[in-house]
Amino acid sequence: MDRKKSRWIQAPFGNRSGKYLGKRVFNPLTVACVLCLTFSLPAFAAGLFGPPQTPSKTTGGLNTAVAYSYAEDVFKTTSDFVLKRHHIYSQAAYGKNGLWEVYGRLGVSDLKIADAFRSMNALTTTSRTDFEENWKFFGTLGAKAFYPATRFVGVGAFIQGTYHFSNYTDSVPGAYLGAPFEADLKIKNLWDIQGGLNLQVTLPYDIKIYTGPFAYYSDADAVLSVDRPGLSFTPQKTALQNKSKTGAFGGVDIPLAKGFRLTLEGQVSERLSIGAAVTYIY
Amino acid sequence: MRIFFAWLTILFLLMGALPAFSAQDAPGAQNEKSLSQDALETPAQSAADGEPKSLKGAQEKTANFEEEYVEEGDADEKTQGERVAIADPLEPFNRAMYLFNDRLYFWLLKPAAQGYNVVVPEPARISIKNFFTHLAYPSRLLSLLLQADFAGAAEETGRFVINTLWGIGGLLDPAAGGELKLQRQEADLGQTLGVYGVGHGFYIVWPIWGPSSPRDTLTIVGDTFLYPPSYISPWYVNRGVWAFEKINSASLRIGDYESLISAAIDPYLAIRDAYAQYRAKDINARKTRSLLFKDHEDPTPKPGDGQKDDFLRH
Repeated sequence: MDRKKSRWIQAPFGNRSGKYLGKRVFNPLTVACVLCLTFSLPAFAAGLFGPPQTPSKTTGGLNTAVAYSYAEDVFKTTSDFVLKRHHIYSQAAYGKNGLWEVYGRLGVSDLKIADAFRSMNALTTTSRTDFEENWKFFGTLGAKAFYPATRFVGVGAFIQGTYHFSNYTDSVPGAYLGAPFEADLKIKNLWDIQGGLNLQVTLPYDIKIYTGPFAYYSDADAVLSVDRPGLSFTPQKTALQNKSKTGAFGGVDIPLAKGFRLTLEGQVSERLSIGAAVTYIY
Repeated sequence: MRIFFAWLTILFLLMGALPAFSAQDAPGAQNEKSLSQDALETPAQSAADGEPKSLKGAQEKTANFEEEYVEEGDADEKTQGERVAIADPLEPFNRAMYLFNDRLYFWLLKPAAQGYNVVVPEPARISIKNFFTHLAYPSRLLSLLLQADFAGAAEETGRFVINTLWGIGGLLDPAAGGELKLQRQEADLGQTLGVYGVGHGFYIVWPIWGPSSPRDTLTIVGDTFLYPPSYISPWYVNRGVWAFEKINSASLRIGDYESLISAAIDPYLAIRDAYAQYRAKDINARKTRSLLFKDHEDPTPKPGDGQKDDFLRH
């Protein structure tokens, strides 16, 4: 019996109302550390994952957030392309008991693809090489669950999916054998799905730090209006997919005044993606 | 003058698609808390505003009116026991318009609102109402600035920012609850004129808009220009949005108007008097917040004033 107790932790976990949940769980630190090390870098994701424990009232309640994130990723087709995006979004979430939360996001995102119009053939020239498109709407749905291990430590899991409602379009003038043309590139049906594990440690003053591994898949179709030698895209649909499928992230969640909280998060990739959110708890 | 009113009436009829009993329902005039708005406020709205619920009869409503006025402090004391009258030279016309609005309510708006009520759950309807109220921010801000109520303007702006960012574009009202407690400022352009001493003029019942006066008609006209949905094009989408707003608003206070008129011997007179008194109280309440008027607008001594003076003398 004593041996069994030593393998399991009996500890209360303080939630927002100060009520102890009193859970017996396997030490999640070991699990999270192993998973963090197992997943390899680089990786990328759009939007913040946030701490695994919902900030909503334990009796159940809403919380809303506004957030900004800047993210980069490498997508692959016949060659690799670096995608850069700024996201600004509003999030509404409902959580209960400090254990679970569902959320939806609506926001706008721009898109820049480096060297999308670069020609590999000397006979084809374009006036510029990068694809750029301004703000388009996207929506995200997600859910997260939290399992408190001790009063200060807990582990959670999340899953979220994002879909960009509009096509991203850019056109560039060019010439092939001296004959001018207009190349119109459309990025259609951009979507992604992300899931991961999340270890949370609660510090004094209700500051929470969290970290974990995640996996994701992202996909889009690229269609160019013209077919010219040397250009990476053609009038046939070309599938763009993320090159890396895993990554890691970490952040801090700080209480502010009057029911607001600030979340700062970084997601490790070939480049660092960063984001911040301010959450209001109803 | 007659031509002017005839022209205005035709204009409003052309603008309107569906009836709304009270002046509160005019586009962008949500803040004009006329009699009908206050008297017809539903338990749902009360819940949204964090106020008491369940108003069953007109007497209860009157009591609630009085309670509300007492809560307003200084402004209430000024008008307490004071009967505010309003001239009614157009009574035959007004009674006809009252009847017209009454029929529109019972024959068109109420059935539509009842059907809508069945389909759309109350939290969604409250959120929609919050959203349209949120959109009327420019009108409230301008009125507050013109009234020299800069603290109110700052509060209203804070509400607008918080509700836009954390209230999902105004669908929710986090600014009013929790630790923030930023209440909506009930300010409109007609009220602003009242703060500067412009009188009602006379009582007039507009078709669709309900009880008003030449002064408060400015609220209807001005707020329309300051209400973003007014600029939606094409015009039929604009009118559709307007009608939707009215039905949504009416769905949250079905039954209140019925309670009010069932308790009155002459509903027309009851509404007219209450309208005049409510606006007078409203304007006095705004004066107490105005930097220009709050120090010298009330010559009558208030209870406790003498004691304060005595205290200062000693």
